Amino acid sequence: MNNLSRRSFVSFALASTSLLAMPAISTGSARPKVVVVGGGAGGATAARYIAKDSKGAIDVTLIEASKHYYTCFYSNLYLGGFRDYDSIGHSYNNLSANHGVNVVHDWAISVDSSARKVRLGSGATVSYDRLVLSPGIDIKYDSIDGYSVEAQTKMPHAWKSGTQVKVLRDQVLNMPKGGTFAMVPPPNPYRCPPGPYERISMVAHILKEKNPTAKIVVIDPKNKFSKQGLFMAGWEKHYPGMVEWIDNDTHGGIKNVNPETMEIETDLDTFKADVACVVPAQRAGAIAMNAGVTDGDWSPIVPASMQTKADSNIYVLGDASVASAMPKSGFSANSQAKVAANHIRGELTDSRVFPAKFSNTCWSLVATNDGIKVGANYKAGEEKIEVVDKFVSKTDEGNAKRKKTYEESIGWYNGITTDMFS
Amino acid sequence: MVNIVFKFFIAISCLLIFRGLLAEPLLDGADFDYGEYLSGQCLTCHQNSSDEGIPAINGAEALYIAKKLILYKNKELGNEVMQLVAGALDKEQIASLAIYFNSLEK
Ligand SMILES: Cc1cc2nc3c(=O)[nH]c(=O)nc-3n(C[C@H](O)[C@H](O)[C@H](O)COP(=O)(O)OP(=O)(O)OC[C@H]3O[C@@H](n4cnc5c(N)ncnc54)[C@H](O)[C@@H]3O)c2cc1C
Repeated sequence: MNNLSRRSFVSFALASTSLLAMPAISTGSARPKVVVVGGGAGGATAARYIAKDSKGAIDVTLIEASKHYYTCFYSNLYLGGFRDYDSIGHSYNNLSANHGVNVVHDWAISVDSSARKVRLGSGATVSYDRLVLSPGIDIKYDSIDGYSVEAQTKMPHAWKSGTQVKVLRDQVLNMPKGGTFAMVPPPNPYRCPPGPYERISMVAHILKEKNPTAKIVVIDPKNKFSKQGLFMAGWEKHYPGMVEWIDNDTHGGIKNVNPETMEIETDLDTFKADVACVVPAQRAGAIAMNAGVTDGDWSPIVPASMQTKADSNIYVLGDASVASAMPKSGFSANSQAKVAANHIRGELTDSRVFPAKFSNTCWSLVATNDGIKVGANYKAGEEKIEVVDKFVSKTDEGNAKRKKTYEESIGWYNGITTDMFS
Repeated sequence: MVNIVFKFFIAISCLLIFRGLLAEPLLDGADFDYGEYLSGQCLTCHQNSSDEGIPAINGAEALYIAKKLILYKNKELGNEVMQLVAGALDKEQIASLAIYFNSLEK
């Protein structure tokens, strides 16, 4: 068997039940091994770049729980009716077919960092020379009194890849006439800083069309938010009188939520909602905690390489990392993945390692053809990832420019998903 | 004989064009591997799979890419993301990106 077909065979064997009988997964090669846990914006990019650029010199295994990755980016546009659900789903087939990545659909349960092994849900173990963790976030269900795993069907957070956003869309579409949509955004730091406010815009967009007397109340645990001036001006322009944003100082703090009565209690008042999107606080995906590379809720990294401060064989990318000035975004995770991929190749195959360069732009849609953006580029400082330069859309730019910004975001979506999955 | 002269002429022309390219100051210091690494930053948005909203740039003329990047760097072309990206590139990095993208299939 040549390398590729042997690898395909291994992928197949992994997917089949014969795996249970195997004590350990081995590709039978002496090539250095990289295991990537999590096939999202950070992990899929890292697996693809390491495999592609090492041209087969590195054996790459990607462990991802789901068969399809539904992007959180653009899930708000699905919510607003600008995309269909299928269009934000992506398969892992090309990663194995085009680059020879062994894609294993399973949960990584634990990491033994001294033996350099990852244990999977099936009971099998995979050994590594370098491990990349990009597990995204876990929701801290107990960070809001009254919220729980069970509560999420009544008050969906829809903040992780998956079908909760479908539930939320159905709830918004079926809201009683003149009803109230409540949104509780998460406290800092969290995945996608402008995300809650883009979500509010998209809900307003549906309601304006289908339920124009409905109201939106935003009960924020923060006193300010990303692109605030732009969003608030947009809400006033497109959805006048519909959105009320209440900051933490005004409501005095969220005391609890009650999914049965659909109430959200604050110091100031108790808000009753017909539909509520409640997004609790977050932390690094459990596997990062298990690997012992976190400090508190997130994983500190070395800016030049994305190696964890705790273990130089383990890299953490994306939302789970403490990337200082970089927001937790898909763009950031994709950018960090390339820095890590370059560093890992250098370590394992002596290829050239270039200085880290990071960038991020977050586009948001406020209404039809009204796109805004915020972006920055970054460099690796000694301790932190530092901003080099940044920009943000202006409140007074014309409609043509806003339309162009929206169109640019479509280009970005196609670009990044190709960069992850082709 | 005509044939030999013709071949000689072609060979000299190729050499001159090639030297001309290398001598092009905008592409001085180009480093293909560095260009490949730096291209990662561009590929988040610029992919051949789509020309919608963001142009595909694979296989574009090296000089064209370098000139565009310099215009963005000097803020003579107006797109904030591109001004940001190009603003952080030095001359060698621009040259490296230009020859790398030029080498990719359209
Ligand atoms: C509503 C919303 C809108 C957003 N919009 C944007 C946007 O416009 N632009 C932008 O750049 N970002 C956006 N984001 C943010 C973006 O989705 C995340 O920042 C990005 O996905 C982070 O990438 P990641 O690799 O860290 O995690 P993820 O992309 O979440 O990937 C993690 C993967 O790991 C898998 N996994 C986790 N643990 C395990 C395990 N133990 N074993 C196996 N598999 C595991 C999961 O199944 C998942 O597929 C948005 C987010 C939300 C919620």
